Amino acid sequence: MIEDLFFIEKQTYKKSLIHDLDARVKIAVCFAVIVAMVAVPYSPLVFPVAVTFAVFFAALWALSRLSPLAYVKRLVMILPFGLFIILVQVFVQNPYYTVFTPIADLPMGLHIYRESIEFATILLLKFLVCVSFIILLSSTTRVQDLLEGAGRLGLPAEFTLTLGMMIRYIFVFGYMYRKINESLATRYFVPFDSHLPYRYRLRTIAYTIGTLFIRSYEQGERTYTAMLCRGYGRESHLYIRKKPLFRKDHAFLAAGLLVAVCTPIFFWVSWIGLI
Amino acid sequence: MHLIETRDLSYTYPGNVRGLDHVNFIAPRNARIAVIGANGAGKSTLFKHFNGIFRPTSGSVLVHGEPITRENIKEVRKFVGVVFQNPDDQIISPTVEQDVAFGPTNLGLDEETVNHRVEEALRVVGIEHLKGRVPHHLSGGEKKRVAIAGIIAMEPQVLVLDEPTAGLDPQGVRDLVGFINSLSRTYGMTVIFSTHDVSLVPEVADIIYVMHRGRVVAEGDCREIFGRSDLLSSVRLDVPVLPKLISSLRDQGVEVSMAYTFNEAERNFLAAYKRNG
Repeated sequence: MIEDLFFIEKQTYKKSLIHDLDARVKIAVCFAVIVAMVAVPYSPLVFPVAVTFAVFFAALWALSRLSPLAYVKRLVMILPFGLFIILVQVFVQNPYYTVFTPIADLPMGLHIYRESIEFATILLLKFLVCVSFIILLSSTTRVQDLLEGAGRLGLPAEFTLTLGMMIRYIFVFGYMYRKINESLATRYFVPFDSHLPYRYRLRTIAYTIGTLFIRSYEQGERTYTAMLCRGYGRESHLYIRKKPLFRKDHAFLAAGLLVAVCTPIFFWVSWIGLI
Repeated sequence: MHLIETRDLSYTYPGNVRGLDHVNFIAPRNARIAVIGANGAGKSTLFKHFNGIFRPTSGSVLVHGEPITRENIKEVRKFVGVVFQNPDDQIISPTVEQDVAFGPTNLGLDEETVNHRVEEALRVVGIEHLKGRVPHHLSGGEKKRVAIAGIIAMEPQVLVLDEPTAGLDPQGVRDLVGFINSLSRTYGMTVIFSTHDVSLVPEVADIIYVMHRGRVVAEGDCREIFGRSDLLSSVRLDVPVLPKLISSLRDQGVEVSMAYTFNEAERNFLAAYKRNG
């Protein structure tokens, strides 16, 4: 998991048209797509909208010159969190339908309904589109730029300072975790080595986690002291310099918002038969 | 009036561990002060009293003649900048620029002034090129400079450096020596630093305090301190290599004047060589 942190960071340092865009623009377009996708009612209207957004995402991913494998790798990491909830939907009735047609009867009184499958598919599509755009945003924008972008968009100072420190120390602890792992490896400790007694391995891992917690606590104390030395107080905030948007940022923002807003409207108008 | 003065300063850690024991310390204007001592001698504990991080158990700390109070703590921390030994303790922001700006922002300065101070601090420390970088991509020496720049940006009159050479390579140490000297010469700052590296001290210190078990056991200039090898041995320190070598040669009958810095030693050795040649 910690190594994934460095993997994601490595992706953000690549060069491409999408990487070079201002973080504010990417945040705005990404959230516009997510809001548009979530706002589409639970109906078959979701299918064409989701496909259009998926094509839009694929185009942006291609422009970002990142490997499709990088996307798949990150998606696989996130998928289990949503997939479980989506799978459960297949077996239960939901408030979006009035009539449920059973297509399979399972033991213990469980049924699979056609409407539930449709609902689960809609949920899956919404989930995939939203997650994909988050992956795109976080793979093409450096985390510090994301924070600065959010700050320039009006994220309150209390959040930017706290998040800034979190970003800083996630990497400090990432390196600390690496060092602890290296020190264990130097002394031939492998957690999955079946030659070592199970209880011994468990105890060593528990000690390591405990050490990491103690070091975190000590780091926190030292950092707070250092912050006080630099005048930290209630009014403290993260320094975010003003930065202009360039023509390419404006162009991408306009195009992105156009796709995000017009796609659901277009399909909704077609749906109700106005086109 | 001294910039910093401690009078009979004592500090006891929780658990009744004596950190400082009746320490009398004076930091005059535009001075370079080295505090030397073995591990656990009380150097860092003393430094944490200079800007009110620690409160004395007994005795007093005067900054610019005033005791540190809740009311003047902000001014005191602006006046005395402390750079910690481990830069990871001090660098809290996601980018170098934001971190250097942290102190000036806390002082309530406007954006233009903060920006100017950041640029200036980065220039003084020689790391303008690192402005947009993230701290975890920097080397130990670069991080140390960022930590120093973060304090310089607050424009303190006293800069306190806790073990500034720890973890630096020889070039890093040379750069730091030049930097400390320039702060004193160019900007008239008082620099107080702690170190185990006694060979560095003659190059960068006018005044030396020797600490042992929470007490100041000696104070003076290089000649006064490094002439007392017995004292240094008793506090787990050593005489720097140059005066040690010259002392040994003199004991063996070679006529060479005592020297503490490299330049001084070079001059004295050449003079001795010419005299004998």
